[in-house]
Amino acid sequence: TRFPPHSTQRNKMESFKWVLVLLSLISASTGSKSGKKTLVLLENLSIKETHSVFFSDLISRDYQLVFKLADDSNLALSKYGEYLYDHLIIFAPSVEEFGGSVDMMALTDFVDHGGNILVAASSDVGDILRDFAMEIGIEPDERETAVIDHLNYDINDRGDHTLLVVDPSNLINAPLIVGKKTNIPILYQGLGLVADPDNPLVLEIMTGYTTSYSYSPTRSIEDYPHAVGKSTLLVAGLQARNNARVVFSGSIDLFSNEFFASPVQKSQVGSKEYQQNGNRALSEALTQWVFKEIGILKIGEVKHHLQGDNEPPAAYTVMDDVYYYIEIQELVEGMWVSFTASDVQLEFFRIDPFVRTFLNKTSDGKAYYAKFKLPDVYGVFQFKVDYRRLGYTHLFSATQMSVRPLEHTQYERFIDSAYPYYLSAFSMMIGVVLFSFVFLHFRDPNERKKKDN
Amino acid sequence: MPSEGIIGVLNDLWIHYKDQTSLKLKLIDAYLGYIMVTGIIQFIYCCLVGTFPFNSFLSGFISTVGSFVLGVCLRIQSNPQNRSQFETISPERAFADFIFAHIVLHLVVMNFIG
Repeated sequence: TRFPPHSTQRNKMESFKWVLVLLSLISASTGSKSGKKTLVLLENLSIKETHSVFFSDLISRDYQLVFKLADDSNLALSKYGEYLYDHLIIFAPSVEEFGGSVDMMALTDFVDHGGNILVAASSDVGDILRDFAMEIGIEPDERETAVIDHLNYDINDRGDHTLLVVDPSNLINAPLIVGKKTNIPILYQGLGLVADPDNPLVLEIMTGYTTSYSYSPTRSIEDYPHAVGKSTLLVAGLQARNNARVVFSGSIDLFSNEFFASPVQKSQVGSKEYQQNGNRALSEALTQWVFKEIGILKIGEVKHHLQGDNEPPAAYTVMDDVYYYIEIQELVEGMWVSFTASDVQLEFFRIDPFVRTFLNKTSDGKAYYAKFKLPDVYGVFQFKVDYRRLGYTHLFSATQMSVRPLEHTQYERFIDSAYPYYLSAFSMMIGVVLFSFVFLHFRDPNERKKKDN
Repeated sequence: MPSEGIIGVLNDLWIHYKDQTSLKLKLIDAYLGYIMVTGIIQFIYCCLVGTFPFNSFLSGFISTVGSFVLGVCLRIQSNPQNRSQFETISPERAFADFIFAHIVLHLVVMNFIG
């Protein structure tokens, strides 16, 4: 029996719909590769309201925020080995233990796999955040302490001089991390941090003044404060060797609506009042840096060949003239554009660098090149570009090639300074021939005389 | 007096040499003198200019030294006054040895001179 024509058409429509649904699901799952899925762990749901401007700023930059309570028992950063989020915001200063499967190991594994974390603490900091900070080379002060500065507190401070007015000169000298230079101060109230002096990767994003120190505001000082002077960090960061970024702020109020809106004025007589403080701009710059919107470099094409050729030879020869070409791109507003610094260096490396030269921009400005002469040493060499700059990801490229010694026929045939030796050798030979002629045909005249006689 | 002694000895040596040595041996001596001069010139040149192509210097110098040694051997074996020590070696044999050794010497020199 035959199916009636209209129902086969209906079957086709049904299957087409399912194909569409399947395709949209696939595209939705791959859409998250743009790297904006963020888990926000809150201490309590009111933080979502008190920091709503901060979160709406992030949402307007296309971040997909997932809000959860820090002790939610279903918390999981990864499932079946895959990470569910690209970034993590922890606005839960006083939490003692995270819920679900999130613990210190999970957080450090998250960073090890390239995830970025923004953490904000406060004077009411829990031990797990202090432990996590120690893992990344930052030592926060104990609970119930704050950064105190008797010369730089805001006019609205409640008497214990912990509401600080931070000049932009206390920020790290890196526009990639903290935004363009301004002279608008920043309001801060919270915990003091100290960087581990042995850790080379910690960044001191915002420091205190020489007059700042970190201690309990209610107790009189009996022992040496945890942090004193310029080594008191207010906001610290880290770019790990796998380029994952972490920012640890001692003040969750730095990001709050109240601080964003409040004017800032130092308490000293005659200080300038700023209607608008720099907190919102700073938090925008910090989130741009920590969530990898800015300061990301990648390498495009890498080529090397003899000057004048287009293809690399199987092996170079000693003293060849070589041309090296590399494309470096920077992520600017979501697009990869060619990088424009002028201090990228190339090393020609075999255990030690033999040649170290700056890379020049090509004539169309899209890539870098270098031209140099290979040294008079043979072996297996690498072209190394190893670029580390504050705020940028670590750029590394190594291309290996071999350099052979001269072939037997490539040496100079007659060396100018050796002509006397050639002359003498040949003259010896000619001398022997002449001498033996004369010697053989020699007739002793004395004997002749004797014979005649 | 001492100076007279030394100069006197050298003078006597020269006169004795001129009279007593046969022309054949003087011929060999002239040839040896020529080799020595070339060798000395080469050595001075190397001291001045440096040993850059050291193999070339060595082969040029060894060519002169080797020729000198072979020439001296020929002279010894050709001197009739030494006949008692070289009973089995006729003058022809001495000359043939001289030529053969020279062939080997110059082969080595050409190889090493680079």
